[in-house]
Amino acid sequence: MNYILHILIMINIYIILTTSANLVVGMVNLLSVGQAAFYGIGAYVTALVLIVLGLPLFPSILLSMLVTALLGFIIGITSIRLKGDYFVLATLGFQIIIYTILNNWISVTKGPYGIPGIPAPEALGFIKISGIYGFFIFSLILLVFVIFVFYRLIHSPFGRALKGIRDDETAMLALGRNTTQLKTQAFTISCAFTAISGFLYASYITYIDPTSFNLDESIFIVSAVLIGGTGNIKGPIMGAVFVVILPELLRFIGLPDNIAANMRLIIYGFALCMFMYFRPQGIAGEYKFL
Amino acid sequence: MLLQLFLNGIIYGSIIAIVALGFALVYNTTRIFHIAYAVLYTFAPYNFFTFHTNHGLNVGFAALLAIVSTILLSMIIELTVYKPLQRKKSSLNQVLISSIGVMIIITNLLALFYGNETKMINPGISGSLLFGNILITNNQVIQVTVSLFLIILFFLFLKYSKFGLITRALRDDENLSKVFAINIPGLRLFVFGLSGLFAAIGGLLVAYDVGIDPYVGMPMLLNAFVALIIGGTGKFYTPVIGAFVIGILQSLSIWQFSSNWSQVITFILLIGFLIFRPQGLAGELQREV
Repeated sequence: MNYILHILIMINIYIILTTSANLVVGMVNLLSVGQAAFYGIGAYVTALVLIVLGLPLFPSILLSMLVTALLGFIIGITSIRLKGDYFVLATLGFQIIIYTILNNWISVTKGPYGIPGIPAPEALGFIKISGIYGFFIFSLILLVFVIFVFYRLIHSPFGRALKGIRDDETAMLALGRNTTQLKTQAFTISCAFTAISGFLYASYITYIDPTSFNLDESIFIVSAVLIGGTGNIKGPIMGAVFVVILPELLRFIGLPDNIAANMRLIIYGFALCMFMYFRPQGIAGEYKFL
Repeated sequence: MLLQLFLNGIIYGSIIAIVALGFALVYNTTRIFHIAYAVLYTFAPYNFFTFHTNHGLNVGFAALLAIVSTILLSMIIELTVYKPLQRKKSSLNQVLISSIGVMIIITNLLALFYGNETKMINPGISGSLLFGNILITNNQVIQVTVSLFLIILFFLFLKYSKFGLITRALRDDENLSKVFAINIPGLRLFVFGLSGLFAAIGGLLVAYDVGIDPYVGMPMLLNAFVALIIGGTGKFYTPVIGAFVIGILQSLSIWQFSSNWSQVITFILLIGFLIFRPQGLAGELQREV
């Protein structure tokens, strides 16, 4: 039972990650390979806030979202004007810079040793979120909240404007929309909600180190979004469920652990190639990723 | 000390230069962001390891076989992945993601076959030459000679063949080049083969010195990206300039900071160039696609 709950919590974390990445990748068609960096910043801010400041739940989530959004805003403003491959390269550059800082700024992040013993967050002064059941319910509440927010966002005038940019940026410019500003807003919002995943991950696992937030993780998040499908709510959910469940299924086949890790990645790579060729819109996406 | 680091930077830069040349060759002609190129860089040393260490072939013959097999792999990737996608008129981002997929598949196949740990190809410490207080190992001499030789050979080839002209025609307007009876599938295959050659030689030169593990391709590919952007896209010789710039910069940054930060410096340079001078040091401004 605990095993199933653990998988469900991980699925919830990844759904929040993919749903927020979808706002950039699926709605505006900007392939950002820096999502893991923001996930990591969210987790590290959470760890520091909970350990050093000892703040309760809501202020610490807000603080972690705020810091990540600020960073996302700075990175967004510098890289959003770049087109195509250059945007991918810029986000890749920022991903590597942030990873290297997490790994080497020993006095704050403890570098490769990671930060252990992150305490359970406290809500309203008397509810302590701890134990696997507690975290399952907590992550479910956050998930419902995030999905509600993104549902409203996608179906708001803002969301329609983003879809307009995706489909024809020149037309949106002709209609008098400030596309750069809209894209920067989408990027910043996406970063802020990515921080919620970081918060959940850090407080649930209670230990973080930089290797969970490297370039491979970024590629993994983007693959989950693309396999699931972009542009709507159910696509990213499908993608997250697929990538988290798949390795667990491989475990039941009975592959030894050292082979299983590589096999899992081979299957992801294969799935990526197949989806890009046969079904570019993913499992449940409404939009052919271009 | 400074001179020593400078020299190390030039030697490292010459390796980055040949790897970046192969990457730029594909990028400038087909606009494919060829991430699977990273595995070509590791594939060659592993083949060399099989032929040389496991089957006992001599160094030259094993290297030749490794290079040929890498060229073949590069062509197979073009035929089985990029060509079908191009025929379906897939977007460049779809091609990019498929390329990431191929990279993940082959990297992990190599890891399954050979293990995740570092394999030493050339056990023992190589001899070295001492000029005053500057030390150069024999391996470094081999590295710099082979790569400079290869770069010069490639430039002579570009100068005395129509290849440069034809590939630029392909990049600028594919339909028009078809009209002028350029054999596009054949040309693409040739470009991919040639890029495989560059990756293989770069990989062999480094692996012969420091050994090989399945994950060394990606950091080298990142260096090649940065060299390409700093040097400038659209011309064939520009990555060489960028490669020497980052080779020397990384080497000198060890002198001022610790080696951990050299990647940060490289990528800050990359982002600076992307924002303020997207055409690079010597490139030409490109039309948007």
